[in-house]
Amino acid sequence: MTLLKSVISCAMGLTLSAGVASAEVDFSGQTITVVVPFGEGGGTSQVFGFFRPFLQEYLPGNPLVQLLNVPGGGSIRGANQFHNTQTPDGTYLLATSTSTIVNQAARNPLVEYDLTAYEPVVLLGAETHWFTSASVIDEPYDFGPILERPLALYALNSPSSADLFHVWTFHTLGITGAKPIPGLSSSAGFQAFLRGELQISSHGTSNYLRQVQPGLESGEFKDLMSFGLIQEDGTVARMPYSPDTPTFPEQYERIHGTALAGDQLEAYRSINAIWNQASKAMFLPTGTPDEIVEVWRDAFRAILEDPDFIAQAAEQLGPTDVIIGEAARGIVASASILSDATITQLNEALAANNFTYRIE
Amino acid sequence: MDLFFDVLGALFSFDHFVFLIAGILLGLTVGILPGLGGTTALAILLPFVSAFEPTSALALMIGVLAPTTTSDTFPAVLIGVPGTAGSQATVLDGYPMAKRGEAARALSAAFLSSMIGGVWGAIILTFAIVFAKPLILAVGFGEQFLLIVLALIMVGALTGANLVKGLASCLIGLIIGAVGLAQITAEPRLTFGTLYLIEGVPLVVVGMGLFAIPEIVSLLQSKASITEKLQLKGQWLKGFRDVAANWFLVFRCSTIGVIVGALPGLGGTVVDWIAYSHLRQTARDTTNIGKGDIRGVIAPESANNAKEGGALIPTILFGIPGSGNKVLLLGGFLLVGIQPGIEMVTTQLDLTYTIIWSLAIANIIGAAICIVLARPMSRITTVPYFILAPVLIALIFFASYQVGRDWNNFAGLMAFGLLGVIMKSYGWSRPALLIGFFLSSKIELLSYQTSAVYGMSFLWRTGSLILIGITVVTLWLLLKQKMGDETQTSERRQQMAQIRVTLGFLILPVAMTVAVAGLDYRSSLYPLGISAILAVALIVVAFSQIRARSATINGTPLPQNFLMRGVFAQEGDFFPQFKEFANLVLFFLLIVVLGFPIATVIFITTFIGLRSRRHIPLAFGLAIALLSIMWVLASLLTLQYPSGWIATVVDLPWWLSGY
Repeated sequence: MTLLKSVISCAMGLTLSAGVASAEVDFSGQTITVVVPFGEGGGTSQVFGFFRPFLQEYLPGNPLVQLLNVPGGGSIRGANQFHNTQTPDGTYLLATSTSTIVNQAARNPLVEYDLTAYEPVVLLGAETHWFTSASVIDEPYDFGPILERPLALYALNSPSSADLFHVWTFHTLGITGAKPIPGLSSSAGFQAFLRGELQISSHGTSNYLRQVQPGLESGEFKDLMSFGLIQEDGTVARMPYSPDTPTFPEQYERIHGTALAGDQLEAYRSINAIWNQASKAMFLPTGTPDEIVEVWRDAFRAILEDPDFIAQAAEQLGPTDVIIGEAARGIVASASILSDATITQLNEALAANNFTYRIE
Repeated sequence: MDLFFDVLGALFSFDHFVFLIAGILLGLTVGILPGLGGTTALAILLPFVSAFEPTSALALMIGVLAPTTTSDTFPAVLIGVPGTAGSQATVLDGYPMAKRGEAARALSAAFLSSMIGGVWGAIILTFAIVFAKPLILAVGFGEQFLLIVLALIMVGALTGANLVKGLASCLIGLIIGAVGLAQITAEPRLTFGTLYLIEGVPLVVVGMGLFAIPEIVSLLQSKASITEKLQLKGQWLKGFRDVAANWFLVFRCSTIGVIVGALPGLGGTVVDWIAYSHLRQTARDTTNIGKGDIRGVIAPESANNAKEGGALIPTILFGIPGSGNKVLLLGGFLLVGIQPGIEMVTTQLDLTYTIIWSLAIANIIGAAICIVLARPMSRITTVPYFILAPVLIALIFFASYQVGRDWNNFAGLMAFGLLGVIMKSYGWSRPALLIGFFLSSKIELLSYQTSAVYGMSFLWRTGSLILIGITVVTLWLLLKQKMGDETQTSERRQQMAQIRVTLGFLILPVAMTVAVAGLDYRSSLYPLGISAILAVALIVVAFSQIRARSATINGTPLPQNFLMRGVFAQEGDFFPQFKEFANLVLFFLLIVVLGFPIATVIFITTFIGLRSRRHIPLAFGLAIALLSIMWVLASLLTLQYPSGWIATVVDLPWWLSGY
């Protein structure tokens, strides 16, 4: 929760003039529809379902807020539907997750939507953690023995999903023995890791805290790294809830002897934006008037201060990096549009692992 | 001990209990209609599950599933038609008893043994689950792969009248399941460039198409109420005394039920037969068995409910469902965020116990309701077909649209409905197809994962050897049994039509082969492999249908005659059913033009009115009642109806247009 609070306070500092305009916007009697391009039970529905009652309370006029699940095509169907039926009056929004951004970033030809054209309301971050078992390394955070192994297997859902970044991560670290076993969700991968069939496993924040930390404490698992939390000034910080765990750039420097720089640093920033910073996000349509956008952002700012919300968020969301305001726009842009140099790196990593899939 | 009280608290919390009862009532109602078992009930429920709190949804799903093997005894005993596959053996002795005027005795004995079986199953599971952790850790990629192969072979071999046709049905399911994005390389297979087929037709739509529609269509075609006459006289206590006198039989058969239920694929369809043959082998006096012996009701009924508990083991521990309804249950679990796996016996153990004990409680309540309300409930079987069918059709269309609110689901529903009608009327196994469809992507991935991690060495792991052993022994026993009673020659019913259907299925492997021919080997190897095996299986079936004669040497039947067994088995005639299928198309067109609410009222009223003028007021009332329920659902759960063309022309209020 400390993380959540600290980030809120800097987001608050960014926009001071917000409160004035909001008086004119009133949603009373209206129904607000949030298009969720995933199934009802999914993570995106759960997160925004948690925010829903608070939004009804804090939006002016206490409108009815409903989530409209339009699953299909890895969120392409729902996001396309949003794109083609936008009404910029503040009552029609799109909720996204990493997969929605990856589809656009990887230039999937079925994508009609363009996240950079919308008005970002809020970004909710997540973190990725890697760990291994005590049978692989003795000292935590030590990639040495893994670098020497001929094979270190890890789970990969599909090369066209966000899991592609795992391939880039190990390729960039220079761990040649790391080999992806495709078709495993992160929970199936963790199961296989527990059975000793895979050597490296990864989890997002909440599962890391729930399922991995007890094993780290008992010595059964050994921590490796987190991807890193990008601060507002651009530096990369460790996660406040696991201050001893080095970040990806730290491990890169330890292995290669030089700091992450140039094209690789740029790729890291884009991937961090997709994977972590904009892990869940909410957008208003293109051309929504500024005062409506601000009303929405203010509602989220107020929710984050609500004592009930804070009490429940610890259980429902876990530590979450929240970004509200104009800072979100740059992050969405660097996530949705990848530079040619980044794409080349991703394709090289895919080729090195014998995948036929390429970003074109 | 804390865990015990936590679970107890959860079980008897108000919400959980209310939803459990609601589910039980739904399950009982659907279970009484022959053919429409728990699979259909769950399929109708599933699109709405995610709108509830996860714990309530869980209670609802278990409530629906638990009592269907109890209430399916009604049609089995009263009219001699098994309500679900689990009560096939009950018919043998239950129906003769009903004809003798002992229906009440048979029913009460069945309900009580069913209930005891269910509770005994839960008790065994409660203790067995404690030892599950090492078991789960021992089941790696290779063992899971073999477990699925075992499940597919069993389901294929057991649910079809003919062995090869059953296996071919599995393979058809595997091929249909392979349509969509190849997981390894993300290349589309046989999607015709559509977004809808990239993810494949939703499981629930496939389930309703394959199971509900063929039953409705044959109900329409038979033009009868499910049963005409009905008599239930006293003798309830006599049934209870029968169970008490045969307590050891109940104990043995329910133990068999749990064990057989835990083997994936074996559960659903054979457990009642295994219990029945166990009775025949162990009973001292067998003269009356098959002619109305009460023990012939007690044995299968105590087993078929106990197996529901056993079947939970592979479902929640490995994510490998063993029967059609477990496929859908697992789908529902995933929807509400329950992931099968080791967490179910470690951090989520309370959830596992909640599931097991909800099942037991649902069994007790379900059986109690059946006993108390036997008279009014058995009257459901006298509702005329023309009232039941249009209501069910409207319900199924509504439910399938709710899966992702996609018009394409109507196409999927009707396509799989037609496939279901064809398969049912020409004797192909629908459960085998559903399980193949569900497990297809899993088995493809596991084959890559296994070869990447182990190569071929996985075959020498202890678990693998045990699984291979089980498969070989079971298959050998089955073949032996099937060959043993193969003396009668097959009747050549509709030989030409049968052959045409068999060869018609060849379109699938051919289309798949053409579609994946140019792809990377990691996308094409699996579909090409199963296409080849399916093509061979279909040709073998076609060959036995063409030859249509048992091979004998000096009057002794040859072993290969098992290929011929039941090769012409069929249920109903295809073309009269196909004509009734037009009702579905008609309803669909009405929805396209008028939107769902108006289409439903017109469809139900005209359908009933055309067949019985007397029932027009009732029809109108039914249509309005159905719509009101859906409106309430729509506002509670933020659902939408499919809105028709008319809404784009005339400005309609939301409750008529769909929005």
